[in-house]
Amino acid sequence: MKKLLIFLLLIPMAFAAWQSVAGVAIMISAGIVAAIYVVGKGFGVNELEMMGKEEFFQLIATGVLVVVLVSTDGLLNAISTNDAFTDGQATMQANALSMIGNTINEMSGILSTIQSNDKHNQVEGSKSSQCSIMGTGYSVSGCGGYSMLATPMSMAGGIVGFSIGELSAVQRLIHISNVYAFSLLLPLGIVLRTIKLTRGAGGLLIALGIALHIMLPAGIIFSEVLVASFSAAPESAPYTGGATSIDWSNNECNAGDTMPTFGDKTGNEESAINVFNTMRANISKYMFSAMIRGTLGPVIALLLMAGSIKAISSAAGSEVDVSALSRFV
Amino acid sequence: MTAEICGPGFDTFFSSTVIPLVAYATIVTSILIALAYMVGRATANPKLTLWSKTEVVQLVISVFSVFTLSIIINSFCIIDIGEVAVVFGLPSPGSNSIFGAAQAYLHESTLYAHNAMTVVRYHLEAYTVMAYLNAFACDFKTGSIGWGCLFGYSGENMQPFGGHGATMAALNIFFNGSIMAFFTSLNFLFILLFIYKGFVFLFLPMGVFLRAMPYMRSFGSLLIALAMSFLIVYPLMLSVFWLMRDTVVDASNGFVPPLDPAMTNYLDEYVFYDEEGAGSAGQSAAAAFVGDSAVSDTYFPNDPNVVGAIMFAANAFVAGVFLPTTALIAAIASVSYLARLYGEEINLTRITRLM
Repeated sequence: MKKLLIFLLLIPMAFAAWQSVAGVAIMISAGIVAAIYVVGKGFGVNELEMMGKEEFFQLIATGVLVVVLVSTDGLLNAISTNDAFTDGQATMQANALSMIGNTINEMSGILSTIQSNDKHNQVEGSKSSQCSIMGTGYSVSGCGGYSMLATPMSMAGGIVGFSIGELSAVQRLIHISNVYAFSLLLPLGIVLRTIKLTRGAGGLLIALGIALHIMLPAGIIFSEVLVASFSAAPESAPYTGGATSIDWSNNECNAGDTMPTFGDKTGNEESAINVFNTMRANISKYMFSAMIRGTLGPVIALLLMAGSIKAISSAAGSEVDVSALSRFV
Repeated sequence: MTAEICGPGFDTFFSSTVIPLVAYATIVTSILIALAYMVGRATANPKLTLWSKTEVVQLVISVFSVFTLSIIINSFCIIDIGEVAVVFGLPSPGSNSIFGAAQAYLHESTLYAHNAMTVVRYHLEAYTVMAYLNAFACDFKTGSIGWGCLFGYSGENMQPFGGHGATMAALNIFFNGSIMAFFTSLNFLFILLFIYKGFVFLFLPMGVFLRAMPYMRSFGSLLIALAMSFLIVYPLMLSVFWLMRDTVVDASNGFVPPLDPAMTNYLDEYVFYDEEGAGSAGQSAAAAFVGDSAVSDTYFPNDPNVVGAIMFAANAFVAGVFLPTTALIAAIASVSYLARLYGEEINLTRITRLM
């Protein structure tokens, strides 16, 4: 035990920068542990003696973590730059950000289409015709067929907006991990883990750093791989590809027209049904992008991240209850 | 930013209130333990003697915890978190103590969430105003004049900007989200200020005393563990997030994300105030003679940025809800961990369900 203590005290000389801070933290903790052990031994207090021993093993574990982090820096970088994950980008994080950027652009395009169609639809639906002379007249609206489409359009806007927000939050988390995971969260986590009082916080920072840097982008890439393989299959044809645009110039509502001209339908009714049918045909294409790429993919990635925080923090010696974080997903 | 906990007022509170209370609790507990030991020896009751010996050790641990805590508080007031950033190879965000940085982070995340809320609200208000705009086009037009209204009232009524239902539905979700981020951030700030005001320090003397009382060991340990976790771990985690302020709350960009059109276009809400009353009549006239775009341009001279507003609100959720919650989770996890240090198993996971 004495030799191991001396070894721990010599650790700071082996490293530079944050590693030396970690070394100093280990050294101070080793001193405190030694004092606790001596007091426990000297006064015959078993509890202190046991605590000293337990802390000593935790210190060794922290020392090992420092060595593992320094030596696996290359390994994590190798994972990040592995061809299977990068798809032509420099790192897997860059690849995930590129994928998210593309999906946000696609979602923005869909939202723009929905906004445009919603506006046209509600302009047509709001039309009414009036005529009054000397206080006597009438008011008619033959555009009810358009008004009924407002609710599903609102729902579609909400869903697509939500997926943009979710993707943006994931994008922000990956940005944070790109800048701070290896430079701050992991090393500071190891330093804090050395001290018993901050071991929980240290374990959580280590877990947060790894989960944000590796698991979150990996989740995005995996779900995009699934999307890509589905999109390549012939069965995906009804759910992929461009949506049909609505020809609003030929489907305008004439508010005063309430007389049947096409069999038992009015011209307005016919136009409203045309608009509805085009929208219905487009739903499957929008649904795939909005629900699978824009919503389910990020949800899987975030759940993967939350689950890995729990597992990694447990491995780092302080399991935290991440159910509160999972509920945000 | 200097946290109140690092000011002279707090020193007075700690030395004149907390330390004497801890001293009283220690003396009273020591007397009780001594009495128990005496009775144990007098009645030759080994159980009582053993209990007394155990409690002496626990009392020393409790007093040592208070001593450690006072040292850590002083250290947290002295350590410059900006220099810590430099140690880790990051640019210094400025000079601040750990307690000050924790408070600064929550101030900034609250400001960031408020900015997001303002931007989303700006868009929502503009679309609501436009959605309620009605136009009446007289029949039999010659240019912009409709002869159908000359002798009566004949024409078509419509809403030229439509309902914008889809846009408002998308924005409403994130208006709620940004309000939640704002309130959550504010709530975490109040928790921190409440801690700085010293409520947890009253836990220390109570904890020292209660730990030595029969059947009260768990409760006493919980009080000391709560005090230590919320004074050490919670501010420490928040101060780490303050080091990431350039990315998390876009501090280098004036606390708005760098998007195009710029989010700062939508922070001035006086545009609505200026357009009320006579402005509304002006808009109607502009809509009639210039076109519907005149109204749209009033509120969005640089075009709307609905997607940007949504992204801003999502970022505010990360800064104002996700990260501070992580800090609180770490503090709660530490309570269990520290309680174990005192030989007690306390499960506080149910508290996280309140979040």
